[in-house]
Amino acid sequence: MAVASTLRIAWRNLGRNRRRTALALGATAIAELVLVFYQGLFAGYFDQMLRTMTGPVVGHVQVHAPKWRDDHATDRLLGSLAARLDAIRAAPGVTSVTPRLWAPTLIARSDEGEVATIVGVDAEAERKTGLLELTELSRSPGAGEVLLGVGLARALVAKPGDQLALVGQAADGSVASGLVTVAAVVETGVETVDRYGVIMPFADASELLVVSDAAHELVVTGGDPLAAPELAARLATLPALAGEEVLSWRELAPEFAALIDFLWAYELVVMALVFVAAATSAANTMVMSTFERTHELGMLLALGARPRRIVGLVVAESVVLGLLGLVVGAAVGAALVTWWGSSGLDLSKLAPGGGGAEVSYMGMKISMVMYPRLDPAGLWRGAVAVFITSLVAALWPALRAARLEPADAVRT
Amino acid sequence: MARGVLPAASVEWARAAGVVLAVLAVSQGPAPALPKAPDADEVMRRMDYLYRSKTSVARMDIAVTSPRTSRTMRIKAWTRGTTDALIVIEAPAREAGIATLRVGDNLWNYLPKVARTIRVPPSMMLGSWMGTDFTNDDLVKESSYRDDFVTTLAGRTKDGKGWLLVGTVKPGVVGRWQKLELEVDDELLPTVERSFDRKGRLARTMTFDEVKVLGGRRLPTHMALVPADTEGQKTEMRYLEVQFDAPLPEDTFSLSRLERGR
Repeated sequence: MAVASTLRIAWRNLGRNRRRTALALGATAIAELVLVFYQGLFAGYFDQMLRTMTGPVVGHVQVHAPKWRDDHATDRLLGSLAARLDAIRAAPGVTSVTPRLWAPTLIARSDEGEVATIVGVDAEAERKTGLLELTELSRSPGAGEVLLGVGLARALVAKPGDQLALVGQAADGSVASGLVTVAAVVETGVETVDRYGVIMPFADASELLVVSDAAHELVVTGGDPLAAPELAARLATLPALAGEEVLSWRELAPEFAALIDFLWAYELVVMALVFVAAATSAANTMVMSTFERTHELGMLLALGARPRRIVGLVVAESVVLGLLGLVVGAAVGAALVTWWGSSGLDLSKLAPGGGGAEVSYMGMKISMVMYPRLDPAGLWRGAVAVFITSLVAALWPALRAARLEPADAVRT
Repeated sequence: MARGVLPAASVEWARAAGVVLAVLAVSQGPAPALPKAPDADEVMRRMDYLYRSKTSVARMDIAVTSPRTSRTMRIKAWTRGTTDALIVIEAPAREAGIATLRVGDNLWNYLPKVARTIRVPPSMMLGSWMGTDFTNDDLVKESSYRDDFVTTLAGRTKDGKGWLLVGTVKPGVVGRWQKLELEVDDELLPTVERSFDRKGRLARTMTFDEVKVLGGRRLPTHMALVPADTEGQKTEMRYLEVQFDAPLPEDTFSLSRLERGR
């Protein structure tokens, strides 16, 4: 029963010097809290960047006719749309797929034309995931109705209910014109769409552009944005998509992919530094509080305790302390992450001069409100690191004390 | 996405009319065949007035060929001097009645289907006119060969059937072209015109043929515009009839007239 008695003594020892115990426990708890919180913050931020980049406009994988991305020619279409959508939906790993039509147009409320871009979408689907996911629409536009990007609405001095004339070029080269009613003015978070977008039901856009059973773009989402390249490779092998261009967001937006990779590497470095800082502070406290007990440990040696028992005692104490600290730190950290994760952490308040609620970067709107996400892997990584550090930190002075002559130890 | 999903401009009318304008005003009758080297300035003056006049009324077919589609339109065009023009599409039926009005630097399109007139904004000026390879700008900019370019005679053409003239834009002239190469036959009628952009790159080639007497003038009645940057792309115009210096009602070039169609 040596282990049980050691544990019992260790537990009692912890109660004897409560201030020291509280200090060591606090150090462990804070180290774990910092790690949990930081990793939650980063996980949330990383998610947000991934969502911002893959979210409204890019999706995870896109399909286009070859060269469409070069010239956006209205007649570079993906035909047999219905069959292709079915084939993609049936592919493993696909969560959703939605078609889009894009075409330049001239739009006017009075007789002053403005340059605009027709975006024909499945509004219901895009409200769930896609172009309209960030908008607060109460309903999708009906036939003959459009959603105007805020910038375009401002340029046109248009408001919901206004009638607008559209003139552009249909896919067959003819002049396309039509009248539409503004259902709502939207902010999609996609700069070009907010500035130039005339978002209309896919069927309306097809009719206006003289297109049937075809689209310019298919946007596919899968489960994990990071697995998009594999999904794209799988979809490219579908017979229904043979000869078309199937690309993941990493290839569609290489600048974002590079940014994400940079973020990832940068965070790893910062995370390593935070680890070291947190572990060092915990270790420091453990080392000091064990050194402080050299005299006491010497007494035990003098009373006949075996060095091994002494070391076991200190280890048991630090294990109990470490576990308690970890539980407290993880609980508080997780609570903070969860709380801020639902309420949002508004970084713009910290920005010098207040800052805005969002920043625009490379055509993407990035919110300044962060939503940390509890990362279970982060919880464990932090716990293991802190636990091992505090154990080692206690073990070293304990070993040293156990090897001392009792007389020397008592005199210190 | 994020990509610059920017409209490449859709109302693609404009280019045709530059030529329409150019093609619609003329000088005096067939030029006598000149065996000896012509005066460059004189050739340019003729070019400026080959298709222009005080007024003109013309009907023509326009055929646009692109790598994946092709279509034809019949248009009727009225011009007055170098600043006013009205172009109305007569066929195909789906597009009939669509009209473009140019007065000075302004360009309006009338869409009968929606009964609206829309002014073409400055940002669309370099966009295609009515799906052709002409830009809106071509309709509005009257570039004068004689006023805007310093032209020199560069000798006989490679095929030996005419003369090659090279025009370099005069300093201070704002326009799309830095250099023009014009080939004329021995009648001094144009056969090929190559336009070079401000960076000196060949931007488009226009060929002239099917010389006929039309509206009392001897002129090439068929033109093909081939942009240099798009493979398989071409816009052809063929004059069916032209009438020069006919009196036109004062309100021909007005918005109300535009909305009334013909």
